[in-house]
Amino acid sequence: MKYHLRHTTRYDYSSDVTLSHNEARLLPRDLPWQQVVDAELTIDPQPIRLRERLDFFGNRVSYFTIQELHSSLEVTLNSKITTLPRQLPPKNLNISWNDAVEVIKSDRSVGNLLQDARLMMLDSDFIRSHPALAEYAGTAFRKGRPIVEAIQAFNQQIFTDFTYDPEHTTIATPVLDVLNSRRGVCQDFAHLAIGCLRSIGLPARYVSGYMETLPPPGQQKLQGADATHAWLAVGIPGWGWLEIDPTNGTLPDERYLTLGWGRDFADVTPLKGVMNGGGKDLLSVAVDVTPLSDKHLLELF
Amino acid sequence: MTDFSLLNSDMQQRLLAYIESRQAFAPNTHGFDELLNASGKIRAQWQPVLEELSKLDREALRSRCEEAQNLLHENGVTFNTYEDDPGQLRSWQLDSLPYVLSTEDWEHLERGLMQRSRLLEAIAEDLYGPRTLISGGLLPAELIHTFPSYLLPVVSDQPLRRPMLILHGTDVIRNASGEWEVLCDWTQSPSGAGYALENRITLARAFPNQYREAPLKRLAGFLQAQHRALAALSTSQRDQPNIVLLSPGPGSPGYFEHAWLANYMNFSLVEGADLVVRDGQVAMRTLGGLRQVDVIVRHINDPWCDPLELRGDSLLGVPGLMQAARDGEVEIANALGTGILENPALAAYLDEICQQLLGEPLIIKHRTTLWAGNDEQLAEILTSPEEWLFRDITEPAKVIRPEKLDDGELLELLDKLQETPWRFVAQAKLKAATSPTYNTRTDTFEARNVNLRFFSLIEPDHLFIESADRRYRIMPGGLAWVGEPGTLLMESRTVKDIWVMAPVPQPHISMLRQANGPIVMTRDGTDLACRVADSLFWMGRYGERLDIRSRLLRETLGRFLQEDQSAEESGLLPDLFTALEIQFPDLPEVDEVTDVDDPLRHKQLYLSYRNRLLELFEENHPDGMPWLFNHFLRNCRSVRDHLGDDAWRTVNNLRQRFNDMPRTQGIIVGQRQLEGVVTHLAAFFGLCNETMPHHYGWRFLDIGRFIERVLCTLELLKLALLTARQPGIPLFEVVLATTDNFTVYRRRYRSQLHPSAILDLLLFDETNPRSVGYILKRLERQIQRLPQPTNSPYRNLESRLVIQATSALHLVDIDTLSQIETSAESREVLSELLDQLIQPLSELTNAISHSHFSHVEAPVQLVTMQS
Repeated sequence: MKYHLRHTTRYDYSSDVTLSHNEARLLPRDLPWQQVVDAELTIDPQPIRLRERLDFFGNRVSYFTIQELHSSLEVTLNSKITTLPRQLPPKNLNISWNDAVEVIKSDRSVGNLLQDARLMMLDSDFIRSHPALAEYAGTAFRKGRPIVEAIQAFNQQIFTDFTYDPEHTTIATPVLDVLNSRRGVCQDFAHLAIGCLRSIGLPARYVSGYMETLPPPGQQKLQGADATHAWLAVGIPGWGWLEIDPTNGTLPDERYLTLGWGRDFADVTPLKGVMNGGGKDLLSVAVDVTPLSDKHLLELF
Repeated sequence: MTDFSLLNSDMQQRLLAYIESRQAFAPNTHGFDELLNASGKIRAQWQPVLEELSKLDREALRSRCEEAQNLLHENGVTFNTYEDDPGQLRSWQLDSLPYVLSTEDWEHLERGLMQRSRLLEAIAEDLYGPRTLISGGLLPAELIHTFPSYLLPVVSDQPLRRPMLILHGTDVIRNASGEWEVLCDWTQSPSGAGYALENRITLARAFPNQYREAPLKRLAGFLQAQHRALAALSTSQRDQPNIVLLSPGPGSPGYFEHAWLANYMNFSLVEGADLVVRDGQVAMRTLGGLRQVDVIVRHINDPWCDPLELRGDSLLGVPGLMQAARDGEVEIANALGTGILENPALAAYLDEICQQLLGEPLIIKHRTTLWAGNDEQLAEILTSPEEWLFRDITEPAKVIRPEKLDDGELLELLDKLQETPWRFVAQAKLKAATSPTYNTRTDTFEARNVNLRFFSLIEPDHLFIESADRRYRIMPGGLAWVGEPGTLLMESRTVKDIWVMAPVPQPHISMLRQANGPIVMTRDGTDLACRVADSLFWMGRYGERLDIRSRLLRETLGRFLQEDQSAEESGLLPDLFTALEIQFPDLPEVDEVTDVDDPLRHKQLYLSYRNRLLELFEENHPDGMPWLFNHFLRNCRSVRDHLGDDAWRTVNNLRQRFNDMPRTQGIIVGQRQLEGVVTHLAAFFGLCNETMPHHYGWRFLDIGRFIERVLCTLELLKLALLTARQPGIPLFEVVLATTDNFTVYRRRYRSQLHPSAILDLLLFDETNPRSVGYILKRLERQIQRLPQPTNSPYRNLESRLVIQATSALHLVDIDTLSQIETSAESREVLSELLDQLIQPLSELTNAISHSHFSHVEAPVQLVTMQS
């Protein structure tokens, strides 16, 4: 699929900001199943310094400073992205999940996949392993069950058990609270799933990105109606990372655009900053994931 | 049995007693001793030291030791624990017996320590670069990633321009078999080098002959080299790079050393809020605007250095600092991320790492350490967990001692070892060699265990050469402290200087305190940090308040003693209590049973007044004397590097006085205490006036003092002339005594006390430094000479406020005022005048702090959420 992606984040402050240092992880990364063209950040007011680098996980980070007095900040990403279907594990991959855990545990020096994987098994800022999380995962992860089957069942389990409720949680809602209340948003479900998987010894990483949504049948899609999205990927030894989206109970496909990944949200926060002044802030976000037909493309170029 | 013959009889006795004390300290062991060899002979390196000390008789030795102790206290050598707890400030004892190292021992140690610094640098470069230690399977990823100081934003494939490790501290002991063992490393901002030098200076002053005669290696060259290395880091083309020492502030342990080092090395002492990243560069907020910083010597731990990229809840760091360092706009020593080398779990693999990275065996062994994340090592730990000490590497400072745990806690530890083994290391318990310490009180040598800290520094000329060719140099000395192996420096009561004996006598470098590098002229003083200006201002205000309060309380105590206890109605006490802003105790009801003149009732009253007054000497009384002093002291500490040594000595004397104050039991003792406070404060401010350059810093101090003085004077006048319950001569006397104007009054008016004369003296007389008129003139002049941030042709708010007050004073109808004793109208005029003075002057502080002090609000975090 081909998309035009537009993501605007706007902050309005109640008092002037004199200086702000920011980090944006808004430029999508290139992947075997994702080709990024013309990715561009527009920042208003004009930053005095803009530096791009790759972070530890290979995500694209833009650092920028704004020194002029400002009472609002608007950061817009525009990009064209072509996605392909992701590879799925072969049908004959029938290692059980608990054997997979043993493999990871005992094998220290295998290739790069597992080194990254080790990092994705440790506690991180937002996610700490806990027996209650392991217990919740136990329903899907029955001993001896093939790993892919167990992961998919687990994905469905969260989708069924939990209610999507944007009013319920904040950025700092602990994973255990989410587990108890059975409510939350995509970020919470991704954190929860990661916490469960790590608690039973499987590596899992947090993926930040977008998803194309479809308007209700017969209606026009509204401008800015899409949203940022978060899901996760589970490390399967001997194969790779399998992405799952417990918010929708699906496996991410061509409609999922990836920004980047990390141990949890803290590693891939799309826009963060430290500023002097500002008082209270009001945030507004608008995301458009617009499919481009070939005709569209012709018009654009 | 011994070669004691060259020593005097006292020394011989001490040695004999020492042999016994070794038996008592470590019975049935024949562990290594630093002073005596296995056959009981004095080790060669000790012979000259003991012989020199032996030239002092018992009395001389005692007085020299006391002298050393006094010097140490007066210089305020201390590891302060946390804020506002003056009783808890630790000063340690400096043992007059140094820790003496032979040339051979030193050569071995030196080689080992040099290797260790190279090794740690190589580890840091690998872990933040190619990460071959991890990808090659030698180091498990979780051993590294679990440690809080492994900073992912530092990992980069860009080659390093210069070493990450500039200065490195290593804690070492000699074990009971006589071998050296490393306990741990300090790789972010090793502390103690300043103390080592201070100890050396102190001993050299107290024992000049012994110090001069001993063939020991000198330290001063090392600190000079440190300065050169730091200056050489700067990439700017300036001759004189701006080097700052970044401290967490006066509340942090080791603040003394930060101030000391900044002073000695001629760095600016800054806190996070003093620095800002603008135009990609790090700058320091000064009164004259922003001044670029080239090199930061950071004494803040890794995770707290930058709230943007590292811990967002840090108030100590500087937002944007990491990016500035990444862009090469500022150099940080030691580089951010070097904290990973303090990970205690690295020790479990150090031998193998040394082979792999340097291709040579480790010269000094590390204390035996097992990492529970490794299955075999975990199994070894679990066979006898009680034989080890444990550390959780996410909180490496805390030691878990299995023998101190109850059964439940032990089970919990064992569970954790199984659940998250990678978080734990087990360290071998150690037996250390014995070393002599001198007990001044009993005049004996005692056998104790000693911990040692040594310091390495990159060779200043090796900064930018191939990393394989770089060498470190070791400070020929260091810091020793008494305690079981692994005792924290801050928990020790006694420190020792380390003397490294040289094969030949060493030239004495008398320039211990010489300046480094060319002199920089900063005559205008605008490079003063805003925060320092702020602290100087408040130091002035609190100091003045402490002074006025002390005088007022002293007078009140005096009145209290003189007052006829039966004449309670006519007493001055209620008014004085008001002036002191303390509540007057409720009088017990007079009823038919208790008569007004009942002696029992008088006694009761007397006691309740007395208690109220003595409460002001107590530690936790808000607005009491110790409370005021703490505020004064806190501000003094944060400007430590701007106060002269003599001024600082008076602060320390005050501190000792206040340490005793809470135990003040009686009125007379209290009076005496307060007199001491008044004199010391006068000495302090006098020294400030004499020794501080009359630049902006001094002006802020002065403005602070005089704002406080004028407000207190106005309140006192208001009380004495308008609102007092018992106005009259006794109260006027108190006012004059509190403002120290009694003598002046008598000389000038040679009469009884008249309110109008008091008004003249305290309000209008511009030649009297205690009068409102004088103070306003002084404030006006000082404020005019402050740096003006804008070029506006208009007067700023603070000038306008002073003018407003001055006009009120000048325009008042003096004729009416002079009728103050008789006319109600006159009292009205006075009341109005005092209000017109108090109102603008109480707004002055805000106006000044608004225009001049950095009021950086705590930076705000901004994050988005994903839905």
